[in-house]
Amino acid sequence: MEPILTIKDLTKSFGTHRVLDGVDLDVHAGDVVSLIGASGSGKTTLLRCVDLLEQFDAGEIRLDGELMGYRSDGGRRMRLSGRELARQRSRMGMVFQSYNLFPHLTALRNVMLGLTKVRRLPAAEAREIAEHWLDRVGLANRQDYYPSAISGGQQQRVAIARALAMEPRLLLLDEVTSALDPELVQEVLLTIRRLAEAGTTMLIVTHEMRFARQVSTRTVFMDQGAIVEEGDPAIILGEPRSRRLKEFLSSMAN
Amino acid sequence: MQSFLDVLALSSAALLHGVAITVAVSAIAVAAGLVLGAAFGLVLTYGGTVMAFPVRVIVDVVRGTPVLVLILACFYMPAGIGLSPGPLTAGALALSVFCASHVGETLRGALLAIPLAQTDAAGSIGLTFAQTLGYVLVPQAIRQIAPNLVNTAVEIVKASSLLSAIGVGELLLTTQEIIGRSFKTMEFYALAGGLYLAINLLIATGGSWLERRYRLR
Repeated sequence: MEPILTIKDLTKSFGTHRVLDGVDLDVHAGDVVSLIGASGSGKTTLLRCVDLLEQFDAGEIRLDGELMGYRSDGGRRMRLSGRELARQRSRMGMVFQSYNLFPHLTALRNVMLGLTKVRRLPAAEAREIAEHWLDRVGLANRQDYYPSAISGGQQQRVAIARALAMEPRLLLLDEVTSALDPELVQEVLLTIRRLAEAGTTMLIVTHEMRFARQVSTRTVFMDQGAIVEEGDPAIILGEPRSRRLKEFLSSMAN
Repeated sequence: MQSFLDVLALSSAALLHGVAITVAVSAIAVAAGLVLGAAFGLVLTYGGTVMAFPVRVIVDVVRGTPVLVLILACFYMPAGIGLSPGPLTAGALALSVFCASHVGETLRGALLAIPLAQTDAAGSIGLTFAQTLGYVLVPQAIRQIAPNLVNTAVEIVKASSLLSAIGVGELLLTTQEIIGRSFKTMEFYALAGGLYLAINLLIATGGSWLERRYRLR
């Protein structure tokens, strides 16, 4: 079966610092891939490149076979137009560390915005879909609240609903519990676990090792912009082979 | 000698006309200033160096020049290229550009203060840049600068009194004419001050009503 997402030899530098150094990764339908690694290992940059929020220097990303972010023009690599980038982005969902809800819109309107403006659905239909997804993340009773009036965990669940309402082929999650108070982490992890059980394809950057082990079908360990080890979460996290992964895991355990 | 009330009765029509001119020229300046100022703000923020440069020059010159000088310039300078705008046209133009420069600079500040994460979030659901501006960035910026816009409108009403210098028959010039005939200096300046205050209180009240109405705060 063709993978949904194919990343080949992805390379990106900030100045002289190489943040991504030849990353190869495939994600198949129904995969839940957890990306782990120390701060600065390139996990978040990788996710942002996939969502086309960052440009990259070389390599390619394909979603369902379609080349993402760039086109080849007589052998020259050209960034796509804003309109094309927007169209490609609408097929992926991203959930951010700091939620990034639109503060001037209610929870419902946050979820509806992409439906009415990007998918151009009639307001009534968009509203129905948005209500459905807010219900799925357990926030049917908060739909008319502004982001400032609900907890961080609830905001993050609205952000998840906002991404999923667009019916993305792939959901990208960037350390979605890192900014939350400890007592709010579980409600968000539980929401993600339910999505995994429902077969949502996800690429998850996380520092929650236990969660990665429980929820993902595959774990990828990155260090210095490259993938060092990947495979079954129980094996990667339980029987690390490389010295760098061993060091990383023991530093997380402390 | 006539009493104040006698003079007031005789000149009330002229005074009302003066108030009407003040309100009308201010309204035109604020409306044109908002539209032009929005364009200024967007070009200053997203126009890139080349497009932003001429706007930056206009905004800095206008903001660095006394309003009276601006008004006199708009009235007298077009003669150099063969145009002769009437005082009302020249005055409305001067106040519009003055208003636009303030709105443009304020909007730029508000747009720059919105976290980049908002642009990322809008992009990630597939909004184009124009949609991101229209549905995410500008609405947030307007909420941010709404109180400021009300202040600018009040400033415009006050600045409109300077149009008396080029012979626009607004409230101040009308008042001075009445005083010239009746010598009721204290009474009519006090009345004019009261009328300016009343207009501005109405603007402030209307502004905060709008802010509440549209949940801008």
